[in-house]
Amino acid sequence: MEHARHVFRIALVLLVVITAIFLGRGFLVPRSYGTFGPYRADNVAEQMKIRPPAHAGAASCAPCHKAKSEAHDAGGHKAVSCEVCHAPLLRHVTNGTVSGKMPVDRSFTLCARCHRRIQGRPDKFPQVILEQHVTSKLEGAVCLDCHDPHSPKP
Amino acid sequence: MDHAPRPLASTRSPSPPPEAPAAGAATPADPGRRDFLGAAFTIAGGAVVLLAGLDAAASGETHVPPPGGDAYNWEEHRWAYVIDTSKCIGCGSCVRGCKAENDVPDGFVRTWVERYIVGPGGSYVDSPKGGLDGFPPVPTAFTPTKSFFVPKMCNHCKETPCVQVCPVGASYRTKDGVVLVDGKSCIGCGYCVQACPYGSRFLNPATHTAEKCTWCYHRITKGLKPACVEVCPTGTRAFGDMMREDDPVRQTIDHERVSILQAHLLTEPQCFYLHLDMEVR
Ligand code: HEC
Ligand code: HEC
Ligand code: HEC
Ligand code: HEC
Repeated sequence: MEHARHVFRIALVLLVVITAIFLGRGFLVPRSYGTFGPYRADNVAEQMKIRPPAHAGAASCAPCHKAKSEAHDAGGHKAVSCEVCHAPLLRHVTNGTVSGKMPVDRSFTLCARCHRRIQGRPDKFPQVILEQHVTSKLEGAVCLDCHDPHSPKP
Repeated sequence: MDHAPRPLASTRSPSPPPEAPAAGAATPADPGRRDFLGAAFTIAGGAVVLLAGLDAAASGETHVPPPGGDAYNWEEHRWAYVIDTSKCIGCGSCVRGCKAENDVPDGFVRTWVERYIVGPGGSYVDSPKGGLDGFPPVPTAFTPTKSFFVPKMCNHCKETPCVQVCPVGASYRTKDGVVLVDGKSCIGCGYCVQACPYGSRFLNPATHTAEKCTWCYHRITKGLKPACVEVCPTGTRAFGDMMREDDPVRQTIDHERVSILQAHLLTEPQCFYLHLDMEVR
């Protein structure tokens, strides 16, 4: 019986260790971990609603800016979304009402990002050598002197 | 309770040198040791069975509802991405769109555009700020014969090096084929940043967790396109569903000659490129 005492003592220690492991595991491993694989399954749903979509597409401006939209959709910039030159709709409208001012970038650098002639652009894309195309001073809103940003004509 | 120490000491003396015939059949084995080993094995075995059972119970459930609820079933989609480099004008609208959509911290990008200027005499590659503000004209020491832009982003590989190295299960690939980072589980060790051969991950300086392109998971699960595709003015970027036979992206991948980045790494990227030059890595 004296020998058995060792066994019980060790068994007790083992039991405590194992219980500690189980308790620790219960606390440390997130609840949904392992549902679909070695990751926290709840995160998938969290990622789906991590933030509201900011961009809503060019068509989303149409209800409130009918004339601009129609001109835009018929012109040379129909492929360029309004949100590219302005900002995502969420900056301007939330839940159907105007909540913020939409930025308007009038500078020539906006146009230059797409139309300046640089190495890399496909040849067929309309582009200009800024310094040659604009004979007046290259600053501010020069491009708008001759071009309508919403419906540019070549 | 009687006094244990004394008998304990006495039992030690008569027993033979303990190590000598450990499991030898001839000498009667120490009953204490036998009991001990028996009990130890029973407990250890029981623990193993319990642990195994627990894991099986956790992973073996077959009727778990998909995380999106009724609105979005991730079993019905498998997303893929096609980039036609011949159309890219390097305007950086995708980089800006992504930043605005996803609150990407300053100095980092989740998608970026690289420019390759190539000639017989050499080649030049740049990507100022990832192409955020477009590209300037550059003088080159050689005479270029071709130049082009290559948009890049997370390739959402099927065989993900980044997920494999994550020690805490914070990186994973969803059933609809998107590689995501669980910001709550991520410990910011940066292994995945190192493991990604495409350089598509970074550590967010504010949250100190790994961050990367999610193909705008908050958009695609609502039927919208990723922001970069939404704003691209030239149709360079296309996003689609491989589970839909009539999907243009699937049609492209099925019928056109597409290539992938660093195919030799066998990561099975799900971003496919059209008109990719061999200079591009
Ligand atoms: C809910 C209706 C509504 C929608 C949708 C809407 N707008 Fe507006 N927007 C307005 C109103 C009202 C104003 C004028 C009030 C103001 O200036 O703040 C305005 C003003 C503007 C201005 C001028 C800002 C200035 O400084 O003069 C711009 C540019 C603009 N919107 C762009 C857009 C774009 C681009 C979209 C689509 C992404 C859009 N809007 C969608 C209602 C809307
Ligand atoms: C190529 C870039 C570009 C695109 C695309 C674009 N805009 Fe604009 N938008 C501008 C610029 C530049 C101005 C400033 C025009 C000016 O001051 O003459 C402007 C001005 C505006 C204004 C203010 C008008 C005013 O006179 O103050 C509204 C409203 C507007 N845009 C709406 C839209 C809508 C809606 C769309 C999409 C249908 C759109 N924009 C697409 C560049 C763009
Ligand atoms: C996001 C990129 C982008 C920006 C910014 C942009 N454009 Fe454009 N632009 C385009 C695209 C795309 C086309 C259509 C090209 C085509 O038809 O192949 C185009 C067409 C044009 C055309 C007509 C060319 C033709 O042959 O039909 C003109 C002119 C033009 N843009 C001027 C401007 C001006 C001025 C600005 C600044 C207000 C501007 N663009 C800003 C992308 C852009
Ligand atoms: C003085 C008026 C004027 C100004 C200022 C001006 N343009 Fe033009 N632009 C024109 C005219 C006229 C054409 C059509 C004839 C041509 O192709 O040169 C044109 C054509 C274009 C085209 C089409 C080229 C093609 O190959 O089809 C683009 C792109 C363009 N402009 C961009 C710009 C940009 C960007 C700016 C601002 C930096 C700008 N323009 C400023 C008058 C102007």
